[in-house]
Amino acid sequence: MSLFGHFGRAHDALTRIGFLGAQLCLVAIVMAYAFETVSRYFFGAPTSWSNEVVAYALCIGTFLALPEVTRQGGHVAITILTDYQPPLWRNRTGRVLALIAAVTCFVVTWICLDNSLNQLARQEMLVRVNPIPKVWISIWLVYGFASSGIYFLRHATAGDADVNGAPQY
Amino acid sequence: MEWWVYLSGSLTLLLALFLTGAPLFVGFLLVNIGTVLLVIGPRGFILVGNSIFDSANIGSLSAIPLFILMGEILTRSGSVENLFRAMDGLIGRVKGRQYVLTVLISVIFGALSGAAMAVAAMLGRSLYPTMVARGYDRNLSIGAILSGASLAPIIPPSVLIVVIATLADVSVGRLLIAGVMPGLIAAVLILGYIALRMWQRPDLSPPNVAETAGGWRATLASVALLLPFSIIIFCVMGLILLGVATPSEAAATGVLGAIVVAVIYRQFSWRMLQESISGAMQITAMIMIIVICSNLFGQLLGFTGATRGLVAWGSALSDQPYLLLAMLLVIVFVLCMFIDQIALMLILVPIYKPLVDVAGFDPIWFWLLVLLNLAVGGITPPFGYTMFAFKAAAPEVTIGQVYRAAWPFVGVFIVLMVLIVIFPDIATWLPRVSK
Repeated sequence: MSLFGHFGRAHDALTRIGFLGAQLCLVAIVMAYAFETVSRYFFGAPTSWSNEVVAYALCIGTFLALPEVTRQGGHVAITILTDYQPPLWRNRTGRVLALIAAVTCFVVTWICLDNSLNQLARQEMLVRVNPIPKVWISIWLVYGFASSGIYFLRHATAGDADVNGAPQY
Repeated sequence: MEWWVYLSGSLTLLLALFLTGAPLFVGFLLVNIGTVLLVIGPRGFILVGNSIFDSANIGSLSAIPLFILMGEILTRSGSVENLFRAMDGLIGRVKGRQYVLTVLISVIFGALSGAAMAVAAMLGRSLYPTMVARGYDRNLSIGAILSGASLAPIIPPSVLIVVIATLADVSVGRLLIAGVMPGLIAAVLILGYIALRMWQRPDLSPPNVAETAGGWRATLASVALLLPFSIIIFCVMGLILLGVATPSEAAATGVLGAIVVAVIYRQFSWRMLQESISGAMQITAMIMIIVICSNLFGQLLGFTGATRGLVAWGSALSDQPYLLLAMLLVIVFVLCMFIDQIALMLILVPIYKPLVDVAGFDPIWFWLLVLLNLAVGGITPPFGYTMFAFKAAAPEVTIGQVYRAAWPFVGVFIVLMVLIVIFPDIATWLPRVSK
């Protein structure tokens, strides 16, 4: 197997693990709010952490799931015009769009990474009831955009792709 | 550069990017980064990073994955099929029984799930073939399904409402509750239109023979079959109406309620739950990334002076609020024919928000009208996800047939919007009296 093949398999494996993590985040959201509701209304003891856990879990879960959505070509797109293109043109358009999407994701990765490094240097904290370093949350944005960018690049350079970057199986 | 040049330029570019078929979030990112470079320069990238980070941490959006998960559990477990059977047993011998069944199932399904596409696909697969086989008119059947499915984003729970309310800075709970009455009135109007059509042309429905369930025992069994769904409706709407839980908390208890319902129907399995969580997380990521990447668009309107310009323009029209309202709603209606509802909402909410304040509109009333407009956008030809979902579920139907069937019901929703404009209490009464 080529170096790119090994890289692709490792990338897919990391995405699967990340997506499992995203699912755990969703479970955490359900549990945190269910606990909060019961605790507040049945025991008169509201928690100080449920809203924060939910906000963090939603953010982390979204960016852990993002690469999986990109891998499957599941992003929402308006394909009303491209659907009428002949297959060859449709494929070419798909590759170009996937390439543009990859470049965009890499630019945003760089912006988010720069932000995270600044937060780390300044030791910025999230102003909440239970403050935590901002970088603990913001670093997941870097992962999500970088991995999605790689998938768009893979769609653009290998196999047939539709306009949403999805491989055609 | 003048504000309207920025606004029209960025809107044109955004729409052009969308129509190329690029993922929506990429379109928003490209336009936002381009505008930042043009207006502020590279030092403005920190604004891009902060906007993405802040938008990803909005807690009130957590109702989105929870509402989606609730619908996934009910659909994947097969619990929804019990709703079909129960309603089928409850509706008596009426003319056009399957039309009535379609609309009533849509109302209840709308109170269990917020996705019009899911309802259209499900009814297209299950009810539509039966309706055709029994001799019901194809166009009216398709129209009843499409319009019924459009009730889902109006009746809570609704993902669209959560996003609109969050972006427009209005109470998510109040806007959710505001959807109840219009949703029910829409159902009555749809039934009224179907009745009118059948009165004009009785052949649109077959004679009602051998379609009804038999006796009071069957009716009781249907009621018993329907009862578990009340757990979910109470968990979501009940808890919000009683002021016991926030919309997100109510959504979380709704998820637990959906699991309980699946257990009651003996359709629960860990595999089903895992698949539901996986499906819900994928849809959540698809929606959240668009919301996160689009939020900067609204902030940049302020930077370019567009917000100030829009307010000045709106102030000039503020002595003619109905003209302003008509213009704002017509823009949504026309753009909905060509643009995805979520994308359109994310573009228009930041533009409309300052105008709502200037015109002195009740925010709940105004945003509910926009929501209705967006909901009907799903069945307004030529572009509408609800229509496409139905077409995918019923491939033998041509898209032209779907378009023809949809138009009269688009008219029904327009009548509803006019009623809400004339009688604002339809939208504002329930949020006012609830806790």
